[in-house]
Amino acid sequence: MGRLVLSSVSKKFNNFQALLDVNFEVEDGEFVCLLGPSGCGKTTVLRLVAGLVAPDDGIISLDGKKINGVNKECGFVFQEYALFPWRTVKENIEFGPQVKGMTKTECESISKHYIDLVGLSGFENHYPNELSGGMKQRVGIARAYANNPKLLLMDEPFGALDAQTRNLMQGELLRIWETEHISVLFVTHSVDEAVYLGDRVVVMSARPGKVKDIFDVKLTRPRIRTGPEANIIRDSVLKSLSTQIKLASHEYI
Amino acid sequence: MKFETGKRGLLINILSLIVFTLVWQILVILARNDIFNIPFIRLRDIPTPVETWYALVGSMFTRIYGPSFTYGIINHVYASLVRVIEGGIIAFIIGVPVGIGVGYSKFLGNLFNPIIEIIRNMPPMAWIPLSIFIFVSGGSIFIVFIGVVFPIILNTIQGVRSTDTRLIDAAKTLGASESMIVKKVVIPSALPSIMTGLRIGLGVGWMAIVAAEMVIKSPVGLGYFIWNMGDLGRYSEMVAGMIVIGVIGYIMNISILLLQRRFINWVD
Repeated sequence: MGRLVLSSVSKKFNNFQALLDVNFEVEDGEFVCLLGPSGCGKTTVLRLVAGLVAPDDGIISLDGKKINGVNKECGFVFQEYALFPWRTVKENIEFGPQVKGMTKTECESISKHYIDLVGLSGFENHYPNELSGGMKQRVGIARAYANNPKLLLMDEPFGALDAQTRNLMQGELLRIWETEHISVLFVTHSVDEAVYLGDRVVVMSARPGKVKDIFDVKLTRPRIRTGPEANIIRDSVLKSLSTQIKLASHEYI
Repeated sequence: MKFETGKRGLLINILSLIVFTLVWQILVILARNDIFNIPFIRLRDIPTPVETWYALVGSMFTRIYGPSFTYGIINHVYASLVRVIEGGIIAFIIGVPVGIGVGYSKFLGNLFNPIIEIIRNMPPMAWIPLSIFIFVSGGSIFIVFIGVVFPIILNTIQGVRSTDTRLIDAAKTLGASESMIVKKVVIPSALPSIMTGLRIGLGVGWMAIVAAEMVIKSPVGLGYFIWNMGDLGRYSEMVAGMIVIGVIGYIMNISILLLQRRFINWVD
C-alpha cells in the first residue's frame, strides 16, 4: 500500500502564500513527478507530506490515514544528500532501523541488503566525505529504503550531479524502484527528468503554488529519452511550464 | 592562513627558533659589555639562553641541601598538570551538558544566557581572592575550572546551534525521537566544536594555573616555582620555568589537535 492524497492543501509562511488549494494523488506503487518553476512550493509539498510542517488548510492522507506530525511511513531523499557525516555508509543506512530499536543483526542484514541493492558493496565503511555525489545519493536512497517506507519522497535528488551521472542515477533509481516497488513522489525542475521517470507529471504554477496540469506518461520502460512519443509529451509539458515561468519571472521585473 | 608544510616548513620553524635564541644571546651580551642597550630596560640582568639552559638542566630534579631541599621542575610541572587536568575534567563534565542544553533548548538558553554572559567576562584571575577564602583546598583547581569551562560551554553552544537542520529533518523522517536526535545527531555534529572548546579552554586553564599558583601558595607548581625563583633572585631558573610553561602549553595544544584529527576524521 502507499496511496497519497492531497485535498485542498494550503500553506502560508508569514504573508507568503506558498501553496493554495493543492489537489492530487499518488496511487499505490505509482511514480509521480512534481515539476514547476523555482519557488512554486514543490519542496513545501514534500515537507508537508513528510509531516515536517503542517498545512494551514486541507488534508493530506497516506492510505486513508491523515498525516499528523512527522510521517514515519515516508522515506525522504534530500537534494544535498543530508547524510550523517560522522557515520559510515553502513551506519547511515542503519540509522532508521537503529532508532526503531532493531537488534544489531537485524540492522546489519537490512544494511547489507540495501548496500547490495544500490550497488555500494565494498564501500560499507567509507565516510560520506570519501564518496562522489552519485555514490552519496545512492546512500541517501538506501537509507530511505532501509526504513521500509510506503512512499518515497525525493527532493531534486539528482540536482547537484553532473549530466552524465544524473542520467545514470535516473536509470539506477528506476532499477531499484522496480525491484522494491513503492510509491514515489519526485520533485524536479527538469522536464526531461520528469518525463523519463514519471508515470504522471504534475506541473505546478507559482505564486501561489497550485497544481496547473497533470500529464500521464503512458510509455513502457525502459524509455527512450529521445523517442517521438517522449518528445510529444515533453513538448506539451514544456508549453504548460513555460507560461508559468513567464508569469513567475514577470513578477520579478 | 597558509603554512609551509613538509620538510621546508619544518626547516623554517627550526631556523626561526635558532635566530630568536641568537638575537636574545647577542642582545644580552652587548648590554653586559655596555656596547648597546635598549633604553629603560635592564637587558644585562636577563639571563642568556645558555645560562637559562644550565639552570633548566640543573633544577630539573629535586635536590637536597642538607636538611632542606627544593623540588625539581619535573615535580612542579607534574603538580601543575594534575591541577589543570582535574579542573579540566570537571569543566568538561559540567560544560558540555550545559552547552548542549543551552544551545538546544530556547528556554534553557534564555534562562542561563545572562548568567553565563556575566560570569564568563570575569577573568579566572579575578576569582583568586574569593577562592582563597572559600576553598579549604583545591582553590587553584577551581581557578582552572573557571578558565576551562566557558570556552567549552560557548563552543558547545555554537556547535549545537550550527547543526545542519537538514540532518535533523533526515533523522525525524527516519523515525528518531527528540532525545534520539540530540544523542545521535546534535551531539556528534557538535563534537568538533566541543573539542575546539576543550583545546582553547585548556590553553586558558594552563595560563590560569600559573597565575593561581603564584597567589595561592603551595609548595609545588610551576607558578609557585617562577615566583619563588624571582624572589630568590635566581633569574635563570625563573626564565627556564617560563619557557617550560610555554613549551608544555604548545605540546598540549598540538596533542589535542592530533587527537581531534585522529578521531574526528569525517570532517570535510
